[in-house]
Amino acid sequence: MRPIIVALAALALGLPSCARNDQAVVLNDWNFGGRPRLIEWLRTRVDSFQVAHPGVRVVQSQKSWNMIRELLYAEYSCGTGPDIVNVHANYAAEFGGAGYYYPVNTFPDFAQVKGWYVPCMIEATRYGDNYYGLPSSAIAFVLVCNKELFDREGIAPPRTWSEFRAAARRLTRDTDGDGVPDQYGLVLLGGDRGGFAYRLIPFFLKAGARPMTDDLKTVTLNAPGGVAALRLIADMYQVDHSVTPGFLAYSLTEVNDLFCSNRAAMSIEGPWFRGMVDDKCPGKKFYTVPVPVPDELAGGADTAATLQDMVMYAINARSPHPEQAWELLKYLRNEEADMAWIRQDLGATATTRAALESPEAAALDDLPVYVRELAHARPWPAHPKMIAIASDIFTPWAEKAIVGEISPAGAMDQATREAQELIEGKR
Amino acid sequence: MKRSLPYLLLAPALLFTAFVLVYPLGQNLLNSFRAVHLVQGTGGWTGLDNYRHVFADREFTLALRNTAGYALGGTLLALAGGLAVALLLERATTRATPLVTCLLSLPWVISPVVAGFAWKWMLNDHFGILNAWLAGAGIVNPGTSWLGNPHTALLCAMVARAWQFYPFAMVMFLAGLESIPAEQYEAASVDGASAVRRFLAITLPNLRPVSSVLLLLGVIWSFNDFTTVFVMTRGGPIDASMVLPVLVREFSFVHFDLGKGSALSIVIFAALVLLSALYLRVLVGRERA
Amino acid sequence: MNRRLSIILLALVTLVVLLPFLWTVATSFKPLREVNRYPPVWISPSMSLEPYRDMFFYLPFSRYTASSLIVATSATVLTLGAGSMAAFAFARFRFRGKRALLLLFLLSQMLPGASVIVPLFQLLRAAGLYDTHAGLILVHTAVLLPFTIWLLHGFFTAIPVEVEDAALIDGCSRLQALRKVILPLALPGIGATALFAFLGSWNEFFFALILTTSDATRTIPVGIGQFVGEFEDVWNQMAAAAVLFSIPPLLLFAAMRRTFVRGLAAGALQ
Repeated sequence: MRPIIVALAALALGLPSCARNDQAVVLNDWNFGGRPRLIEWLRTRVDSFQVAHPGVRVVQSQKSWNMIRELLYAEYSCGTGPDIVNVHANYAAEFGGAGYYYPVNTFPDFAQVKGWYVPCMIEATRYGDNYYGLPSSAIAFVLVCNKELFDREGIAPPRTWSEFRAAARRLTRDTDGDGVPDQYGLVLLGGDRGGFAYRLIPFFLKAGARPMTDDLKTVTLNAPGGVAALRLIADMYQVDHSVTPGFLAYSLTEVNDLFCSNRAAMSIEGPWFRGMVDDKCPGKKFYTVPVPVPDELAGGADTAATLQDMVMYAINARSPHPEQAWELLKYLRNEEADMAWIRQDLGATATTRAALESPEAAALDDLPVYVRELAHARPWPAHPKMIAIASDIFTPWAEKAIVGEISPAGAMDQATREAQELIEGKR
Repeated sequence: MKRSLPYLLLAPALLFTAFVLVYPLGQNLLNSFRAVHLVQGTGGWTGLDNYRHVFADREFTLALRNTAGYALGGTLLALAGGLAVALLLERATTRATPLVTCLLSLPWVISPVVAGFAWKWMLNDHFGILNAWLAGAGIVNPGTSWLGNPHTALLCAMVARAWQFYPFAMVMFLAGLESIPAEQYEAASVDGASAVRRFLAITLPNLRPVSSVLLLLGVIWSFNDFTTVFVMTRGGPIDASMVLPVLVREFSFVHFDLGKGSALSIVIFAALVLLSALYLRVLVGRERA
Repeated sequence: MNRRLSIILLALVTLVVLLPFLWTVATSFKPLREVNRYPPVWISPSMSLEPYRDMFFYLPFSRYTASSLIVATSATVLTLGAGSMAAFAFARFRFRGKRALLLLFLLSQMLPGASVIVPLFQLLRAAGLYDTHAGLILVHTAVLLPFTIWLLHGFFTAIPVEVEDAALIDGCSRLQALRKVILPLALPGIGATALFAFLGSWNEFFFALILTTSDATRTIPVGIGQFVGEFEDVWNQMAAAAVLFSIPPLLLFAAMRRTFVRGLAAGALQ
């Protein structure tokens, strides 16, 4: 009996010291959303990082993109949170500026790392004098055109607003003869308040309008170009009836269903569209073209801005291991990693110059469109309240104008007024 | 020991309640008078500013009206449905009754998230089975939007909510019906009363305690129901189906304005307390009479 | 209305009521490309068990099930424990503050979830209970208690005091009386309450989502919610998960149905 007790005691005493020897640094990496292929790739990438860095353990959690704000809020309100997280680049303004993200420009090798990326993409993670993350996936909003429907009608993808309106009108038809149209020219994502703003604003930008002045002090949603853009869509809905009537309830799923079943001819989308459509109806083809410009600005179409969106990887300002987190960040976002965005369809565009200029990149057919658009795309103004303005002020008023409850000019005046009050703290 | 026994028995439950009511209520109350923002941090006292912002908010009055309608309408519908089905079950007793009761209770047994999505799919304008039947029968145009139409969106959510809640009412009514003494019915048939008369004079009055409680609980629970509306419409189209719980989430988790979110929470709480107090007073008054 | 007509009507009503669920079942066997298509079909030749199989690859549902079982069972036990004691106190004792306390329990149902979640989250974090089964169990118990107490209160008051008095005369203490006499009589009611509590915890989504983060602690509703993606909602697997995980509560309900109705008849109407 006694030897057993002694052995057990020795074991008991030995165990804590075993634990103490395990000096592994633990990094928490949260990944929000993403396509299954991206998630798979991330897991393998993280595994190979841990092999190369034996003292570091990475705990990866996959989380729902739709609950990103609730989940991050809960964490940040307690002063905790994952060491590394992927968020919209415009969170640099909202969170970075408030001290929640680590300014990566303070790391010694930042200048070299910065050079990996296309300039406008790394600039998207900047707020004030600091950079708050490394760009992961670049998105530019473009117009996708259902090839089957366009070819059948014998028209080419539109480049100007009048071509756009005409195309939508021609592509709205009653195909089964029951007196009710079942094919529509344009489908809008009205049921997703954030998403809708992202798809309407490119028209504003192409018309030269900006949501805010550069000093972020004045809201300019009611600039003439913007109102004209809104009037275009409103006329298409109310006069031509070429916009899907149920759009106020649509999310991406419905857009995908309609596009794949040839009930919608055009939509404003981004790099995720190819994979999304492929999952639903493999082999479905579509044209990818820049968002149309107003007729009077057709001459400058090549440099007209569209909306840029960027996902970045950020480090928690309160992370206990910022240096190791930086190592992981670089590993996830270096030129070698970025090639995955070229080689596989991960739902977004690569961000490093090396990847974008590689021969494999040249072989992708719609990548040039995205790269060209990204070259002069503009992100949302870097104001901390921009997300709230876009989803809760801009979208409702724009939607009201489209369905005819209010005039486009009136809607944008109201939106501008409310947004101005919001940024001045009066709401 | 004897004197303190009830308090000791209540202690665990009270502890839990303190944890899930008193502390959050206190926090919300506190925050509603300050400028609390996740990103900008906790500021100083702002007096009634948050409340002013809430009442002036474009979506607030709409949400208040919608929530009242949704809660009351959904509960009344569920109660009516529950009673009707309970009566039917009582009359149509067969060997399959246990199975049928279980099947009829399914809407309550499944998760609210699933229920919301199931209704959303069925109501899809182009691909849903509801439109397939209605359009096929010529009642509506093909492609009619239910959740994208400001006039029908909240109604659909209300029906979905009633669908989820009615089994609860049904089971309560079944129990209630079972406890009505048979003598009352016998006496009535001896007097020659018709079925309708028996229902109105015996069944309904006997069920009043059950229905009063069901109404109160149903309205309170539906008032705070976030899942159904959020899953089906997210408060849309535009704002047509915005309800107060979804609005709280918008203030707290989209705008990150916890001060405003807390103020709205207090307003909701106060509204429910007031409603319940009034209701209970009427109820007690009626019972005394 | 004669019996035969009632039976036919009941069958029709059952079918209508089950419609959304039947549609979910149909969806759960379809491949993704067939989920939303025109015209919609109930049965298609490409139906298979694939979504049921795929859903376990997509998400670790076996772990979610374990978590749900642990949380729901523990929450039910805790709720019944604390709730019975409280309900007994309300039913059998007269004491100061009784009405106020009853009201307090009613009040605790009047705060919406989104208002409660952030303070709760901070509390759990501070207590080291974030992302643990224990933390979620405590929250669920607290949320379920008010209604549980109300139900049990009804059951206990339905038991005549004379039965208890007889036990007391025979020499039992109050607590012994509770254990030996009241609880057995109240068993149907307790069973009904247990069912409510179990269902409430099993299906709870919002708190489970925010208060757990790792796969080891996540529950089934959270898992189902993850099928709603940023680009595509994997309807068919979601439907499969929904169908599969409705079965345990349904079986429980079926098993307890008679005690349930009998229990409610006996007590809840007081």
